[in-house]
Amino acid sequence: MAFGRSGAIARNELRILRRDPTFVLIMLGMPLIVMAFTKPAFRAALIADGVAGANGAEQAVPGAAVLFGLFLVGNIGFTMFREHGWNTWERLRASWARPSEILAGKVVVPLAISALQIAVLFTAGVTFFGLHVRTSVVGLVLVAIGFGFALAGLGLALMSLCRSVMQLNAITNLSSILLSGLGGAITPLSTLPSWARHIAPVTPSYWAMRGFRAAILPGGSANQAAVSAAVLAGMGVICAAVGLARFRVDETKVSWA
Amino acid sequence: MPRRAPRNRVAAPVALQHTARVLEVRGLAKRYGDVVALDGADLSIGAGEICGLLGPNGAGKTTLASIVAGLLRADDGSVTIAGVDALHDGRRARTNLGFAPQELSIYPPVSVRENLTVFGELADVRGALLRRRIDEVAEAFELTALLDRPARAMSGGEKRRLHTAAAMIHRPALLLLDEPTTGVDVGTRARLLDAVRLLAADGTAICYSTHYLPEIEALGASVAIIDHGRVIARGKLDELVATHGEPAVDIIIDPPVPAAHDSTNGGPDGTIEHLADRIRIRGPHAANEIAHVLVGLGSDAARVRRIDVVSASLESVFLAITGRRFEADAGAQEVVSHGIRP
Repeated sequence: MAFGRSGAIARNELRILRRDPTFVLIMLGMPLIVMAFTKPAFRAALIADGVAGANGAEQAVPGAAVLFGLFLVGNIGFTMFREHGWNTWERLRASWARPSEILAGKVVVPLAISALQIAVLFTAGVTFFGLHVRTSVVGLVLVAIGFGFALAGLGLALMSLCRSVMQLNAITNLSSILLSGLGGAITPLSTLPSWARHIAPVTPSYWAMRGFRAAILPGGSANQAAVSAAVLAGMGVICAAVGLARFRVDETKVSWA
Repeated sequence: MPRRAPRNRVAAPVALQHTARVLEVRGLAKRYGDVVALDGADLSIGAGEICGLLGPNGAGKTTLASIVAGLLRADDGSVTIAGVDALHDGRRARTNLGFAPQELSIYPPVSVRENLTVFGELADVRGALLRRRIDEVAEAFELTALLDRPARAMSGGEKRRLHTAAAMIHRPALLLLDEPTTGVDVGTRARLLDAVRLLAADGTAICYSTHYLPEIEALGASVAIIDHGRVIARGKLDELVATHGEPAVDIIIDPPVPAAHDSTNGGPDGTIEHLADRIRIRGPHAANEIAHVLVGLGSDAARVRRIDVVSASLESVFLAITGRRFEADAGAQEVVSHGIRP
């Protein structure tokens, strides 16, 4: 694989994003607003959950990061559907680039946005919301990386499985909220019904929240965070494998046109 | 049963002078279900040659271009680009290829320069060389003043020029242009044709798919006429016209066309065919027979709608080889321009 051609695709994605950065600004701004009004409610929930001295940021910050991180999943698929809408997909196929190089280039920018989002939210959490990373900053970074892999894999899978941009929109929006809810990102896991707690471990949001909590809250450990990161990376690999197995370069995707 | 395309008479090949064969297509076949899109197409294009791939809609032009570009799989046959087997080593073959598909395919949000940059970088053209190439193609397509303008803010003709320029940024050995002037104005068409000529003069083999006959004539291109999935005539334009370009006149009549009788049969200047909606006169001086036939029609002459004079040209070549007018499928505007309304 030539990184130069993947780089060319990634730089083009970045230029397109630069022309209209609204999406990125919303994905960075909205979670900050959500964090501001959920933090007080989570304080009580966390104290009831036995987290002494919690101020609510311990749930609000990683919860918002996971929820809005999942909203980025659709972005990977959208960058591909956009190529079909602009008729540039055939041109890319007729170029020197292999499909794997094109896909790699497509994933880079959403991954970078995910990394930026987590960095901004946790920095803002520490600076403005009183978040203390009490156990392991390294563990937190590992979980963020693992979560990025999971998002990329999920994005590739949905891009391959969806035939139209409408399907992609509907499925990613619905699954973002569903997975966030099940994984304990919208409300702490302890507040969910028992059936939901039983199925939560199949979701990446569960492992992301578990990993973030292990890195943030007292009583956790870098090892626990690393295990979560590994599970997330594994989920990402499985999803990416499903996506790549299903991916057909000559499949006609229905975009807006 | 698969639909078999009717076998057309295949014109004798005219020897071409271009020595280095950049594109070699042999026996290419492609079928979509029961529909035969390509039925053993052969095509060869040399370095510096512009080959006008001419045919009505559905003739197989786009299918052929798509297979050469690696977008479709062939059922049978072979394609080599600059000596590389494009059907088995497509990626390596594509390093010698520039392709501008029929549909406009550019990135609307980003600038002209950025569009050219991404397609250059995908062909491993980078740095100072890329900047020089961008300047060169921008100048050839009169896009220099627009380099920093977002593509979405350009006119349709400007977008079409950018679309074609992007295929040339890496100076490929073979350039495939699939109906590059669709929907453009006269000025844009002239600029595109000039750029194509320049590139061919630089040694690029160009496959120029179109259904606009005058463009082929303006380019001075060699011609490959494709119909029902086969290349039925191939050669230099003037030689094809000399060999097959017998002039003709079509007298188009509201049906029923009167049955043939002596007064509407040919005189010394042409042979006459009575078809479903027209009487066709063929011969070197076919136009001389118009008056003779009209008089012979008597009161039926009132039902004559139009008279088309097909002079010795690509159109008469197409007519001579296929037995059909090109207007039946496409390019009606060119034919009507020759028409005489009684």
